[in-house]
Amino acid sequence: MNKKLSYVAAILTIVAFIVFIVLRQTSKFDINAYESYSYLITTGVKNTILVSIIALFGSLVMGFVFYLLSISKMKYFVALVDVFTEIIYGTPLLVMIIVTAFLIGPAFGSFSRNVLGVIALIIYMTPYMKNVYKSAFSSISRDQYMAMDLFRFTPFQRYRYIIIPQVVRILMPPMMNNFSLIIKGSALLNVLSFTELYYAIRVAQSQTFAFVEGYIIMWGLYLLITIPLSQATKWIERKWAI
Amino acid sequence: MKLEIKNLSHTYDVEVIKNINLNLTKYKSIAIIGVSGSGKSTLIRMMSGLEKPSIGEIHVNGMNVFDEEYRKSIGFVFQSHNLFPHLTLKRNISLVLEKTRGFSKEDADKTALKYLELLHLGDQVNKLPKNVSGGQAQRASIARALSINPNIIFLDEPTASLDPILTYEVLTAVEELKGLGKEFIFVTHVMSFVRDFADYVIFMDKGEIVEQGTPEIMDNPKHESFIEFMKKVK
Repeated sequence: MNKKLSYVAAILTIVAFIVFIVLRQTSKFDINAYESYSYLITTGVKNTILVSIIALFGSLVMGFVFYLLSISKMKYFVALVDVFTEIIYGTPLLVMIIVTAFLIGPAFGSFSRNVLGVIALIIYMTPYMKNVYKSAFSSISRDQYMAMDLFRFTPFQRYRYIIIPQVVRILMPPMMNNFSLIIKGSALLNVLSFTELYYAIRVAQSQTFAFVEGYIIMWGLYLLITIPLSQATKWIERKWAI
Repeated sequence: MKLEIKNLSHTYDVEVIKNINLNLTKYKSIAIIGVSGSGKSTLIRMMSGLEKPSIGEIHVNGMNVFDEEYRKSIGFVFQSHNLFPHLTLKRNISLVLEKTRGFSKEDADKTALKYLELLHLGDQVNKLPKNVSGGQAQRASIARALSINPNIIFLDEPTASLDPILTYEVLTAVEELKGLGKEFIFVTHVMSFVRDFADYVIFMDKGEIVEQGTPEIMDNPKHESFIEFMKKVK
């Protein structure tokens, strides 16, 4: 079987499974109950995408700063990044969000939960992004640095013409994976009553009482965001492969 | 060329270069030979200013090897081709010329093509390094080294990662460069190439220069380690 056909077959298998599950249901399944909440849900989708993009860029910047600190000659910075990374790795995102919104934020005089929620996401993703940079930069061999040195490229030229063009290609796939993590992680911002997708559905559920249907819609919408994203990643990976 | 090495020593974890002194004035093509781990590559990298010695000084043609002027006047061909993998063969050369030697874009392109053609790569110029053979990549790397119009070209085992046919292809290309009036310092394991191409030979063992002289010393080695080495490479 060729590759394309295999994918069609795989998708058909999943669809068949879903149809089977649906036909087996005995209780009433009422998706239409959510029609009147479409505005709320659309707002939820928009907000999920918005905070995810902000958190993506925020963590890309912070991750880079942390990467630079982790290769710093000052041992203190290296240690700081290490300790921070250990703590974040063991911290549930939910706890991170609560601590940021209710303890860290107020300590700095900030009570804007929406902003603090996004900051929590950024802090949480920073060590993961740092690692993405680390593996990308380590892929530039010592030999290449020697060649750059030999031809007397300036530090700016090294980054601009040789290092970054290569690193971006390697960075792309794991960065997109992290983006996917951010999108799913943003659901936890519902604890701050932030109207992202998960929260919007929960509000609608509390009025329609159609719980299962609500989760199905939620599921579908998350897939609608993440699948095109991962497809785009694969496309970029193919196009930019070294 | 004038090559002057004074009290050169270098230590990584162990001492890899042990108090080397050298004073050569009239040779144009110097070969450094010896077994793996004898310090050849370290020495050639130091002579090209790519690596700082722990102790000692090297002057080539009157210049300290860390002078910026000297460093811009040399070419270096590495063991592996060391081309930038994201750039085509042509761009690998033109980027260097444009950004570090002040060529205009057109001149850089023209010069890149000229040297790639000189190395018989005229039909490969727009390929990425991964899409050409090891021998072609290494020849492109030689073209890149030549393109900056260096006075001296260093070759550090340029055929180490190539099979015999590609080795022949690359070394033939180097021999063709004889007419360009460049000076060469090179490390290689291919003794026939040393005989053809070098006018001075340095044999190293365990970080020291054990024997040196015109290529004829290879026919009549005196020191035990050199005798042993010549037996093995024959």
